[in-house]
Amino acid sequence: METGQQEQFAEIDKLRDELLTNIKCDVEPPKQLDSREVLTRIENVILGMVATLSKDEAPVLVLPSRSDWANVSFDSAVGLQMIAGSSVTTVRSDCPLSVKKFAQIFKILSIIYKLVQSNSYATKRDIYYNDTQLFGYQRAVDCIVDDISCMLQVPRRTLHVLATSKGFLCGDLSYLEGDGSRVNCLSSSAAVPVSSNVAGIKNIVSSAKFVLIVEKDATFQRLIDDDFCSKLCPCIMITGKGFPDVNSRLMVRKLWDTLQIPIFALVDADPHGTPLLSYMSYSTQQNRHHTDCEAMSFEAHSLTVPSVRWMGLLPSDLQRLRVPQDMLIPLTQRDESKLHSLLRRPYLASQPSWQKEMDLMRQNKVKAEIQSLSAIGPDFLSKVYLPNKLRYGGWI
Amino acid sequence: MGWPFGDDRAAMRILNEIQRVMRLIMLLRRQRGCKGLKSGEGGLMVVLWNSKESYRVDHCRPLLDVSGAPMGTDLVFGSIAAAGPWCEGFATGNLKPGFTDLIQKLFPSEDQGPEPDQEELCGFTHMHGPIHLLISFQVKVAKQFDRQEWPFHIEAFLHKLSLTNARVKIHFSCKSYQKRLQRIFSGKIQCKLTLKDQWSTFLDVTSSKPGVSVGERPWCHGGHPVPGERVSLSIPPAAMERGLYGELSLQPVALLAPCVLQYPNLATRLTHIQVEVYGPSNVPVASPTDFLQQLSVHLNCEELGIDGILRWNDPTDLQPRGGATLPVEAETGPEGGRSLASVEQSLTLLLFLHHMDPFTSELYDVIATEELLEHHLEAILTNNRQAVTAALQREIKSILNAHRRRSKASERICSAFEVISSSALSIVSSSSNLDFRAACLSNMRVRDTHGLSQALREAQVRVTSWKFVPKARCYPVPQVKEHITTPGHEPKAVLYIFTIPL
Repeated sequence: METGQQEQFAEIDKLRDELLTNIKCDVEPPKQLDSREVLTRIENVILGMVATLSKDEAPVLVLPSRSDWANVSFDSAVGLQMIAGSSVTTVRSDCPLSVKKFAQIFKILSIIYKLVQSNSYATKRDIYYNDTQLFGYQRAVDCIVDDISCMLQVPRRTLHVLATSKGFLCGDLSYLEGDGSRVNCLSSSAAVPVSSNVAGIKNIVSSAKFVLIVEKDATFQRLIDDDFCSKLCPCIMITGKGFPDVNSRLMVRKLWDTLQIPIFALVDADPHGTPLLSYMSYSTQQNRHHTDCEAMSFEAHSLTVPSVRWMGLLPSDLQRLRVPQDMLIPLTQRDESKLHSLLRRPYLASQPSWQKEMDLMRQNKVKAEIQSLSAIGPDFLSKVYLPNKLRYGGWI
Repeated sequence: MGWPFGDDRAAMRILNEIQRVMRLIMLLRRQRGCKGLKSGEGGLMVVLWNSKESYRVDHCRPLLDVSGAPMGTDLVFGSIAAAGPWCEGFATGNLKPGFTDLIQKLFPSEDQGPEPDQEELCGFTHMHGPIHLLISFQVKVAKQFDRQEWPFHIEAFLHKLSLTNARVKIHFSCKSYQKRLQRIFSGKIQCKLTLKDQWSTFLDVTSSKPGVSVGERPWCHGGHPVPGERVSLSIPPAAMERGLYGELSLQPVALLAPCVLQYPNLATRLTHIQVEVYGPSNVPVASPTDFLQQLSVHLNCEELGIDGILRWNDPTDLQPRGGATLPVEAETGPEGGRSLASVEQSLTLLLFLHHMDPFTSELYDVIATEELLEHHLEAILTNNRQAVTAALQREIKSILNAHRRRSKASERICSAFEVISSSALSIVSSSSNLDFRAACLSNMRVRDTHGLSQALREAQVRVTSWKFVPKARCYPVPQVKEHITTPGHEPKAVLYIFTIPL
């Protein structure tokens, strides 16, 4: 490698060494459940229903509450995990308001049972179209699949239900898909969609020095247009086009497990960008539409990368780079309350530098998008900001 | 006395006498300002019996029938006695001077009949105390009167009377030729109803068991009347010419029975709508009304959410007069039988007439006005057809809201059951886990998955239909409480409901 390149990646290499040293050996990933175990858990639900009916009682499904922070605990090496004795919600079969959900859950259980039994896969979209009248909306299926994962206490991927991927990849990466097809992100002129079956990916080959998670698709495309991956080669870029879907997260985790290289996040300096950071790191998500702190907790070991570093846009960058005032947006009341809520999250205690940046945002009462850097210069992001961050270790 | 009357008019005459006595009692009570629980209790005895006599036009020449035989006529004698706190003090104090005159005017001496059997009176006074009012009358009837079912009309009328005077025990005895009919009407479960600008009345809301399917499960023994909005009525010119003036209005009160509030998933099926009209003194109307009989033609069943077609009475049917029974003919739907358990309900609409005329204050005039009102009731209702029909449509629709909700809930639950059963069955059928399959079959006590499917469905229907949620306002097996309602709204306060044993 050229000297220039060595200097460019010196800090990254140092970080990598540090990460590899700090990987806790005593944190064992959870035992992988085989399909028989998943089938048995589903059968137990059915048997429970039958036994209840035989006693002339109305069957009730008990679901751990997925929106209660009291139901999770934080481990800095893993992220958020479900705790025993969590609060629950009940779905009754003798109440007109909840019987439909009861039926939806049973329907999806029967579909999952068949999928697991036959070792086949279906997307959530496939399940929805199985009975659109019963489900009504796609979101109903999405929620129930997560509910079933919590109820059975199994990782989502063991249900053989695939989420539709919306993320994209590019850079120094090639691998074999589950169906045997070869994907080479480097040779492709456009970004490559993230696989729907990340668990089936094999033979990952890459000499990337780091992975860059980009929040927005517009920024991702801009970096592609600026040939970022060639200029800062070798590297991998991935975007979830906003909040990343399960497959994008699985992909990031898989890259970490396989390549053991630093993962950096490039998000907006606002109360919505920073949760994405924690989402990738600790499996939590909180936005104004959905509170789902526990939904993915069974998948924490396969979804989270606690070593994710926040590269930008940092609130402190706004002052340091003297981003023009007209590019700064005042925080709304909602932003402030969200920020206040974020600052109380348990995982922030292990990230004092993130906490400091969020405090700064709260003090200055302004936020900014990554695009604000274009006010400094049209190629500032790809030619100055990111290269300098990478060279001088400007991440936290 | 004139010529012998036809059977129908004779029955009406008897009813009119009873009405007149009741109106007198009710108006006297209002005049006295009777309030309080105890003042409403008491007894009313109605005794009817007959005798034969030949009728002579000029006391010399007998009337002959077509065969040349002397035509006989009968007399039906009647006595109405009132005793107890509800009619105490009528003939005493300030009322006494005018009371005798009033009785004379209302019940002329030529129509007065003999007093009833003393033994019968003794039994009555023993139960309710001294008699405060006793009116005896006689009515000429044709010889064939004994073959008709006229006691049935009297009985039905007294039953309607007891519905809105639940605290008065009504003893009815009819000895007609070889027949003897005895009935006692008394309210087991009573509900005090207070309508705006009107006196309180006690309704008999006793309800029967909701079908044999309820088994030993708890059920509500009474109904919950719901007052509707008052409708102003215009008086037609013909009635005004006869002297009917003032403000007239009608207030419906709806009562669904039996009550199934405590079984929120139990489906219900309306079997009929019973409509009864009560005059301003709370006495049922006895005259037939074609308007009510044909009400089903003007009501929109689809909007009401009735699962069927509302029919009207066949005029040849022997139905009580004064009101209307509108049976609901169920529509034949697609075969399937997939439904939750259901019970049959009937809806009773009590229509209370309210009349105010500041220029009519004397008791005799008030009674006469009420009789005039009843006489012109058909014309009044017809004259206000649109307003009355709209009001009834509104009230029925409102009271049947719960029925419609149950219907929808029942459909939702049944539809979900299909999915639940088929999904469970799909897993059991395709499972290779013998223990699991055996456990499922043994729990439901079946041999195979076909039997399991049936058993699951039946169990789901059974468990869900009879889901019981106790309600404080419902009437459990005998307790003592009093329930007060206010017009158009939920009860302000539930104090206690009491029962009067038969």
